Amino acid sequence: MVLKEIDSKKFRDMVRVATHRMSQNAEFVDSLNVFPVPDGDTGTNMNLTIESGAKAVAQNTSASVGDLTESLAKGMLMGARGNSGVISSQLFRGIYKATQGMQTLNAQELANAFSNGVATAYKAVMKPVEGTILTVARVAAQEGANKANETDDVEEVMAAIVNGAKESLKTTPDLLPVLKQVGVVDSGGQGLLFIYEGFLEGLLGENFADKYQPDKGEMDEMINAMHHQSVQSQLATQDIANGYCTEIMVDLTADVPNKKPFDLEEFRSHLSELGDSLLAVSDNEVAKVHVHTEYPGQVFAYGSQFGQLGKIKIDNMRIQHETIVNDSEHKQADVDFAVIAVASGNGVRKLFESEGVNRIISGGQTMNPSTQDIIDAIKKSGAQKAIVLPNNGNIVMAAKQAAEVSDIPVGIVPSKTISQGLTAMLSFDADASLDENVENMTAELEMVVSGEVTKANRDTVINEVEIHQNDYLGIVDGDIQVAESELIPATVKMVEKMVDEDSEIITIIYGRDANQKQAEQVIAALKQQYADFEFEVHDGGQPVYDFLVSVE
Amino acid sequence: MAVKIKTKTGLIDISNGVIATVVGSAATSNYGVVGMASKNAIRDGFDGILNRANYRRGVVVQSEDNEITVDVYIVVGYGLKISEVSRNVQDSVKFNLKNQLGIDTKAVNVIVQSVKVLDE
Repeated sequence: MVLKEIDSKKFRDMVRVATHRMSQNAEFVDSLNVFPVPDGDTGTNMNLTIESGAKAVAQNTSASVGDLTESLAKGMLMGARGNSGVISSQLFRGIYKATQGMQTLNAQELANAFSNGVATAYKAVMKPVEGTILTVARVAAQEGANKANETDDVEEVMAAIVNGAKESLKTTPDLLPVLKQVGVVDSGGQGLLFIYEGFLEGLLGENFADKYQPDKGEMDEMINAMHHQSVQSQLATQDIANGYCTEIMVDLTADVPNKKPFDLEEFRSHLSELGDSLLAVSDNEVAKVHVHTEYPGQVFAYGSQFGQLGKIKIDNMRIQHETIVNDSEHKQADVDFAVIAVASGNGVRKLFESEGVNRIISGGQTMNPSTQDIIDAIKKSGAQKAIVLPNNGNIVMAAKQAAEVSDIPVGIVPSKTISQGLTAMLSFDADASLDENVENMTAELEMVVSGEVTKANRDTVINEVEIHQNDYLGIVDGDIQVAESELIPATVKMVEKMVDEDSEIITIIYGRDANQKQAEQVIAALKQQYADFEFEVHDGGQPVYDFLVSVE
Repeated sequence: MAVKIKTKTGLIDISNGVIATVVGSAATSNYGVVGMASKNAIRDGFDGILNRANYRRGVVVQSEDNEITVDVYIVVGYGLKISEVSRNVQDSVKFNLKNQLGIDTKAVNVIVQSVKVLDE
């Protein structure tokens, strides 16, 4: 029978078998590795690269081949390791570009995709060396293109690609002297041949389940790997959409009332609507399912239409996750050099964390952490040395005291505002010494002018500024300079006092009581005067201060 | 500055130009490196890709004792994993310096000066 097109199901099979084949032969490929650097890791690298691609494909539930080649290419790019990994990621990037938007691939399209892969791969190299993975890919694609002119059978085209790769691989020692010297074929080319052979097997596998079916052990391993990925402690517990990790085994041989015929693809697609992180495998006798869902009952009900339910397992992942997050509070510490910052507001915390701060102590204007709080944070960090950013004038003293009694060397960068703290972090260098860091980071403090906007809680006169209760105050580097009844004009006026001729960047962090729209109104007003400036807006979520502004 | 290697029969003096050529050739033979860039990006034009004769403008060599530290300025093709391409450059530069000149490398610092979009 002539197979005229590759659909998404076939393509998934191709990727799965190819990944399996590559992983089984990774060590053999490693042993061939003498070029460009004989470090014996080509097979390992290619394996990690294609695995990363296969994972992305497995997570994509699309029924279009074009979508799957895109996932494969992106996954391989993200996971690319070593020269051969980078080259194969580029090959598949070209394949993805040529198949964009296609639901299925016919023989001509398949051949074109491989040719385009080669064209793309060759572009990113200045001096292509013949006798390498590039040569193998090129000859293989050429053979595929020739075959596609004769037939519209995709299996024959794929077989021609594999044969081309095989023949070309044999010639690599003649093209590349270093291979001849050692008496091996090119390792990257061999790796590519394994992948292509896997594609062909996946494509031919009418009885695919017989050829490659993850056994129970492998399935468990896959599940563990997925769990390992998804329980990152950055994720907030309340963000888990599907709370129950549900696993069932369905005995397909057992008779049940109104038994429905089993089709794995349909089974999978139905379950994918009930949740995510879906893994479903089956042979003739049993189907095994792992899925994260909000409705485990529906998974049981659906599964039981095809046979008797065997093993059943449900875990509440929200509870698991809370435990993990609590554990990782202690674990995350394994750093040599910790930076500890005082901050409040989720957005502000995230900004600090994104700059490399390891621990955040909650606090700020209205709730100053004690010396003990700071000592505790230093201890919990488990680091050999630490830097503390107090980010508030009132906390600098407490931080200094903490540094004096700490068991490890602690440096204080006397930041008085959040803006200063954020700017100081830019020059933190984990490889430099404690003293160097304190010096460099302290120097940064002067680079930034900090502004804070908050509400007055009583009538008063300070610095010759008359203030009424509920006025918005603009505080520049700790001095109240502006009092206005409206938020936006108060902020604009404050910024005007902060800007000087060297200023270039204005950053606005809006707090709990303000919103992005208001921040944009401020920017719109400022842009009229400061057209050349760069503006940045962040959601800080901090209490007390409607806006934190920094001018650099 | 140059690297001096003492041997039983005398002194071998390898000039920085030689090292730059070896480093440049090793770097550019790596997949994903589409060119060498000048270390003085602004003076020499930011996107300028160096030709072979000018490789030394994209390579900085510092030597002490029998070890050297090399800075390599490269241009990488768009759509490639830059960190991995850079790591490959480090490996091959180190390997080729040892293999061709017998010099141990203390560090190979890769500076990705630019990314070139290759037409698709």
